[in-house]
Amino acid sequence: MTHVLPISFSLNGQAIAIDVPAHTLLIDLIRDRLGLKGTKRSCDMEVCGACTVLLDGEPISSCTTLAVDVDQREVTTIEGVTPPEGLSRIQKAFVLHGGLQCGFCTPGFIMAVTALLKATPHPTDEEIRHYLHGNLCRCTGYTKIFEAVRSLAAEQVSEDAA
Amino acid sequence: MSAIDSMSSVRPDLIEKVTGRAEYVTDLTVPGMLHGFVVRSPAIHARIASIDSSVARAMDGVVDVLIGEDVASFGNWGVVLKDRPIIATDRVRYVGEPVAVVIAETIDIAENAAELVDVGYDDLPRATTIQEALAEEAPLIHERHENLEDFYFKGGARPTQNSNIFHTYRNNVGDVDAAEAAAAYIHEDRFTFPAISHFAMEPHAVIADFQRDSLTVWAGAQTPTAVQKVLSRLFGLQLAKVRVIVPFVGGGFGGKASVKIEPLVAAASWKVQRPVRIAQSIAESMLTCRRLGADITIRTAVDANGRILAKSAKLLLDGGAYSDTGSAVATKSANRVIGPYAVPNLRLEASAVYTNTVPGAAFRSIGGPQAVWAKESHMDNVAAAIGMDPSEFRLRNLASRGERIRPDLRALDMDMSELMGRVTQSFASEVKASNRQARGLAVAATDPANTPIGNAIVRLKIDGSILVSVSSIEVGQGAHATMARIASQTLKQPASAVTVLRTDTAVAPYDWGTGASRSTVVVGLSVENAALDAADQILEMVADVWELPRENLSLVEGGVTTGSEVLTFHQIFHRTLGVDSGEVIGRGAITPRSKKGALAESPLFWETSAGLAEIIVDEDTGEIHVTRYASAADVGRVINRVAAEGQDEGAAIMGLGHALYEVLEFEDGQPVNATPIDYSIPRISDVPPVFDTILVENGDGPGPGGAKGMGEGAILPVAPAIANALFSAYGIRITELPMTPEKVWRALQKRN
Repeated sequence: MTHVLPISFSLNGQAIAIDVPAHTLLIDLIRDRLGLKGTKRSCDMEVCGACTVLLDGEPISSCTTLAVDVDQREVTTIEGVTPPEGLSRIQKAFVLHGGLQCGFCTPGFIMAVTALLKATPHPTDEEIRHYLHGNLCRCTGYTKIFEAVRSLAAEQVSEDAA
Repeated sequence: MSAIDSMSSVRPDLIEKVTGRAEYVTDLTVPGMLHGFVVRSPAIHARIASIDSSVARAMDGVVDVLIGEDVASFGNWGVVLKDRPIIATDRVRYVGEPVAVVIAETIDIAENAAELVDVGYDDLPRATTIQEALAEEAPLIHERHENLEDFYFKGGARPTQNSNIFHTYRNNVGDVDAAEAAAAYIHEDRFTFPAISHFAMEPHAVIADFQRDSLTVWAGAQTPTAVQKVLSRLFGLQLAKVRVIVPFVGGGFGGKASVKIEPLVAAASWKVQRPVRIAQSIAESMLTCRRLGADITIRTAVDANGRILAKSAKLLLDGGAYSDTGSAVATKSANRVIGPYAVPNLRLEASAVYTNTVPGAAFRSIGGPQAVWAKESHMDNVAAAIGMDPSEFRLRNLASRGERIRPDLRALDMDMSELMGRVTQSFASEVKASNRQARGLAVAATDPANTPIGNAIVRLKIDGSILVSVSSIEVGQGAHATMARIASQTLKQPASAVTVLRTDTAVAPYDWGTGASRSTVVVGLSVENAALDAADQILEMVADVWELPRENLSLVEGGVTTGSEVLTFHQIFHRTLGVDSGEVIGRGAITPRSKKGALAESPLFWETSAGLAEIIVDEDTGEIHVTRYASAADVGRVINRVAAEGQDEGAAIMGLGHALYEVLEFEDGQPVNATPIDYSIPRISDVPPVFDTILVENGDGPGPGGAKGMGEGAILPVAPAIANALFSAYGIRITELPMTPEKVWRALQKRN
């Protein structure tokens, strides 16, 4: 019989207590049981970054993380970084710079960039490349994603200066 | 970076996508929906001896198992050749071919039960490469060929019966033999091009709901009307009873064009008479379709002044186990191996052959990257052999604007010398010292298969809001935003007034499909016509009811001006209809007869590009670093700059993947790297540090505002430009893609 475990965790700031089979993946818990469809499933092998969510602020692949492993921890998804009205500054930068086309990889990119800017508010070009190496995009050729992230780094500098 | 006005001018689809609210097929749930998991053939070419699904069927939560004999009576389907069963019936022709679908209450149950379906195979002789398939004793992968003339494309396939050749296209101009006899120099080369995976981030996913005499399908399909037609014919349903709904599509690149897994999922739903969803993994999608590999022999004869007298090309395309649109890929490869050069004598032959591998399919610029890889690498070889600078050799042989590169193709609508100048200029503007030696150029002129058949409906409502309905899908290219912009500009209403409906064949009028860079031009013109029709109707209303001369009336934001006053749409409808309600419905169509037949000639416009690459090679490892790349394309007119640049940047980086990393490998028919772990596409760290995208606008296209289609051209020059840089600076000529470190290192060793 499938072993079911009770877990409690924070999802986008909301307390969740739920019983999950031991083999349930975090992506399935988030998408299918909790109904948050913004996190996208693509490679299933932790190589494309489309399913990236934040676990205690760090980006992880929800397609290869067991749901039971988020017990007592904080999970943030694309829904959690989207303001009730309008867009976050990262989302806005992606839209304005055209850092997305089909959009399937985009929630993963937004989550990765959220973590990047938290850890490194003013990333260099090299740091951007290194940090986003694990997020694949087949549409944009990355140039406009790069421009979007670079604009955020610069924007922060000017805010700090102000 | 181009200027961005404000958030109000951005594409609404982008807002949905960055917030995660955009819905793709796998985000939808249909009440009562079951889940299917596909059991795939591990055999390369085999007779199915037995299928025992009883154990799987007995598992808790399994509803049914679909196998070939359930649906064999429906027969085969296809879009050019009718060669494909819904699911393997008596025989499998490639590793990955569906042989059973387990249908269960949950995905987990379906996947687990799939392992319990016991299939027995008796191996058959196989042909897994072009050479094996063409060998005299080659086993036939299909015993007979059934052509469907004019079914999807105009024309059809020209198969050779009792062979694995499912299409041959020939086009001869002038007298190549006589020209060669008079030539000062003749050069022949052979190049190969591998199978390449589309690798859309969203794998194929379909939900089908079969209810007795009607069928609704939710699919990430690029050509919904083709899906509708194939399903209608296959299952004997009226077209009006087959509804195809396309939500946001997570990348296509041709891999979701024509028809893919829709018949399989529809059959699963037919079997259980409940909605069924099949959501593939990327690995499964890599076993669903791929770009056709090619083996290309090309020969050029030149006179003493470096003028090309004749060109011959023989292109063999590896079409995989089922033809799909491989015949068109072959034909296009023969057309795309010519230009943009003026060549008086041509001998072109392209054949597509079946092999026991993953079926070939359309992929961004069908046949283009294969042909351009060969022809542009070859151009530099010829130039080197006659001691001429490769740019000079090209300039000397370019066809000029207005010239035909072949009598049956529309005259060239652009100047390639302008694009060559622009990419060269882009490099010149950089002051940083660079290794001038390691530079390579390539150019391309391709003829998109942009069938001039489109329809659009534009409805203007009493409150001034506008509803646009088209069959074009939104796959990231911004088609819906483009249609909204055309409607808003034609009707002189604010962009915020326009809503474009998600694609649904139940409401959207017929259109050929989204591909071949055709939507902006063909569907764009349809929308423009529909908007003009709506405008006509509203102006006619005012002229009639207010008894005013029609020529004094024109549209303004919110209504119609009579010259002396503005009547709001509310006033117009209210007074005309007597109630405070109403709308006008504008209809717009494009056919080969539109614009006095001006759109009928092929191609509708030329899709052209030039690419200049600068590279550095690590001679110890053979690794190529592209330090700089400039891409130029003639797009007629830019409608949305950020989106247009993004199209070409994406195409160029996809071309970089083709050039350096990508090959879907088969060893004796067995796929060896068909997983996202083993197959590499470019990452952000692979993008050249200096990368310039140039869009040339002369307003001379057939589309709205003088636009041409775009988005496919920039993929073409990348591989040969890099190979030509390698040739000029390092003296090695790579003839087989991708240019992996190992191949480059070996070539360097051989040179030394």
